[in-house]
Amino acid sequence: MASRRVALKAVDWLAFAERVPPNQRSMFNALKTRSDAISAKLASLPETPAAIDWSFYRSAVAKAGMVDEFEKKFKALQIPEPVDTQTSAINAQEAEANKSALAYVEASKARIAQYEEELTKFKNMIPFDQMTMDDLNDAFPETRLDKVKYPYWPHKPIADL
Amino acid sequence: MLSVGQLKTHHSFSVEFVISRCFAGFSRETSLRLCRRARRGRNKKQGARRSNNSASQPSVMLSRLIVVSVNSLKGCGPIGAGLVHASRSLHTSPQSLAPLPPLPEKGGKVRHGIFPEELFQLLYPKTGVTGPYMLGTGLILYMLSKEIYVINHETFAAASIGTAIIYGVKKFGPTVANLADKINEEKVAKAQEVKDVAISSLTQAIDDEKKEQWRVEGRSMLFDAKRNNVAMLLETNYRERLHMVTNEVKRRLDYQIALQNLHHRLEQEHMINWVEKNVISSITPQQEKESIAKCITDLKVLAKATQARAAA
Repeated sequence: MASRRVALKAVDWLAFAERVPPNQRSMFNALKTRSDAISAKLASLPETPAAIDWSFYRSAVAKAGMVDEFEKKFKALQIPEPVDTQTSAINAQEAEANKSALAYVEASKARIAQYEEELTKFKNMIPFDQMTMDDLNDAFPETRLDKVKYPYWPHKPIADL
Repeated sequence: MLSVGQLKTHHSFSVEFVISRCFAGFSRETSLRLCRRARRGRNKKQGARRSNNSASQPSVMLSRLIVVSVNSLKGCGPIGAGLVHASRSLHTSPQSLAPLPPLPEKGGKVRHGIFPEELFQLLYPKTGVTGPYMLGTGLILYMLSKEIYVINHETFAAASIGTAIIYGVKKFGPTVANLADKINEEKVAKAQEVKDVAISSLTQAIDDEKKEQWRVEGRSMLFDAKRNNVAMLLETNYRERLHMVTNEVKRRLDYQIALQNLHHRLEQEHMINWVEKNVISSITPQQEKESIAKCITDLKVLAKATQARAAA
């Protein structure tokens, strides 16, 4: 019997838990409990089953050749290893996740650049008590009075005063 | 102007170009300066002067225009030369595009509300402290005596209205000024708050984005965990199969052994029963009597032996 020892990659659950955003925490907890249950089940099973004492049986069982026959067949038996159907799916998922993560990081970087630009605009603004109305309208375009739409003072609807 | 008329025919393009450039610059600057002044409400109260930068601009600009036109007239050759002249002198104007320095906080100092302090400083070296007052008194007396200013009904009207105005300003001036300042400060504070909130929210947003990027980096751990789970499940399944096979074989062997034992036991018991039955059935009445008599004699002997032992 060949016993498989697949190398399990150690998962640092603490570091993993840190990186989980709060809205996915319940999913993470479910995953962790499932993983723990599976690993506990694995640990509870011994790696190889207890060996069968053939000599005892040979002396005990009266029927001639039965034990020998059993032994021969037992030793020749090859237990098929279970087929792995999920790893490829997981790998595909991982590739897709990597792709979407890259896209998200790109978008995030673009957003950061935009925020930085606005931040520099605000930081480089002259103080308000040294601004003219023109400067204020340049810095905050929403303060510009529309003199075409409302040609008479106060150049905005009365309700907005 | 003859020169201008000549210009119109020969160099109309260059002059129009120059005019439009000049006036564009002029209008922008005027709007800047005028808007500045509009914010200074307090200066209105104290009647401060408005410096006349804007007033001087048109004359400067027009003179420059004339200089430019004269230059091009001097050349009086092909249009190309005139254009080169015009553009070069425009670019060397002292008008700079740098932001202007902030305005002074208070207007020029005045005495008695209308007379600028500079007049008093001007006359101080020659006439001392009372100089300007003497000048004022002298001027008023001169105007009254020579009847340059004639006293009439309007004088009394002006005097009473002036008194009322001065009393009003002196009494309510500071209050109204404070109120206006408060209104202004509220506006500035609101704008400042908007700016502060914007800055803080932007920095917060940047931090959040960076944190999210860091979170995304941990995605491989999820898939490692999943693959581990799959591997563990497979291993468990395999071990279960091994155990199952062993157990089943053992069970069958044990069954055989148990079967054998059972057979053995049954045979033994059957044999014992059969032997017993036969023995009992083979005991005849005669033998039974003999055996009972023998038992009695044996008992008597035993009783004698024990009696003898007890006596001894």
